[in-house]
Formats: sequence, C-alpha cells, structure tokens
Amino acid sequence: MPIIVNLDVMMAKRKISSQDLAEKVGITTANLSILKTGKAKAVRFSTLERICDELDCQPGDILEFKRE
Amino acid sequence: MWSKDRSLFLSRILTVAAAAVCIFTAFFIPTISEWYEYEMAYEAASIFDRSTMFIPMCITMYICDALALAALWNLHVLLKNISRDEVFVDKNTSCLRRISWICMAAGVVLMIFGLWSSIFAFIGVMAVMFGLIMRVLKNVFDKAVEIKSENDFTI
Repeated sequence: MPIIVNLDVMMAKRKISSQDLAEKVGITTANLSILKTGKAKAVRFSTLERICDELDCQPGDILEFKRE
Repeated sequence: MWSKDRSLFLSRILTVAAAAVCIFTAFFIPTISEWYEYEMAYEAASIFDRSTMFIPMCITMYICDALALAALWNLHVLLKNISRDEVFVDKNTSCLRRISWICMAAGVVLMIFGLWSSIFAFIGVMAVMFGLIMRVLKNVFDKAVEIKSENDFTI
C-alpha cells in the first residue's frame, strides 16, 4: 500500500511505549500493533485525532504517501 | 420461547435428518427405480426407450444421493460455523460455492436422465437454477467477508 505509517518513529521520538499510547488513545494494544505494522485498512479521524493529541504531532508526521 | 439459537439447532437437526433419509434411500434405489419404471411405463414424452430406464435411473439416483450427502455435509459445516459466531468467513463462502456446484452437477445429471423420463429434465433445470441462486448468495457472502475484513482492520 502506498500509505506508510510512521507511528513507531513518532513513538520513539516521544519515548512512549505501545501500551502507554494504547491506553491513552483508548484502543487495544493489538489494534495499535495493526496500525504500526501497516496492516490497518482505515483509520478513524477520532483515533487519529487522539494519537496526534497524545504524541503532539500532525497527521502528516504519522502517515506518509509513497508512490509505488 | 423461540430464539435464534433454537432456530439454528432446528436447522442442524433437519440437516442431519435429511442426511439420514439420503443414506436410508440409498439402500432402496434399485427398488424405487423398478417401481418407477413400472409406474411410468406409459408416460408420453421420452427420447430413449423406457425399457432401458432401470440402470440409468439407478446410476442417476446413486449420483444424486451422493451429491445430496455432500451438500448436506457442507450445510452442516456452515451451520456449525454460524453457531460459533463465525458467519462472514472464507470457510463459509467455500461451503456455499461447493453447494452451488453440487446443485449444478445434480441438475446436469438429472437433465441427462430426462432423456428417459422428461419430468427429470425439468427437475434438473430447477436444480441448476437453485445452484445459480446459491452462486449469487456466495458472491454476496464474498463481498460481506471483504467488508467485514475492512471493518475489522479499521482502527
């Protein structure tokens, strides 16, 4: 898929663990893992909003478009 | 009180009962064929001579009996998956696809036997139509599996 999820990079920058972020965002660690590994087929705006809020970043810092 | 679980249980019981009937019938196929040949001796339309009907009818009935058992087995697997709350999964789509092909195969066999007794050709056409309906249902299930997968992977 040409959409790359850079969530793990942002999490490393903010030094936050998956479990902490999942708890703060209100999703399961399994779902966060799906998102991090790029297996997710869609992201709700509400989830993206909470992730950006917790990581203090923009959606573009997490999602990237790369032409195949 | 009637519930979805009871309805599912009834469907499973009926499937098993139908399988038992199929197995029971298999023992009497030659008798049924002999009776049919005798009873239908003066039926109007047929292409082949009725006196040669016995063996083709036995073969047709054995094939259809085996196909019915295969279809019932697939129905049983389908119902078992549904009772486990596994509805829109690839396994069920495969079951529906197999049932569809089984119906079509039975239809073709019956249409061939229609050369000896025309009424079976009409039953064959109905079986093929039912197979077609099952195929459309399988396509709907296929799409539902895709939509469910998208929904499951929406975070």
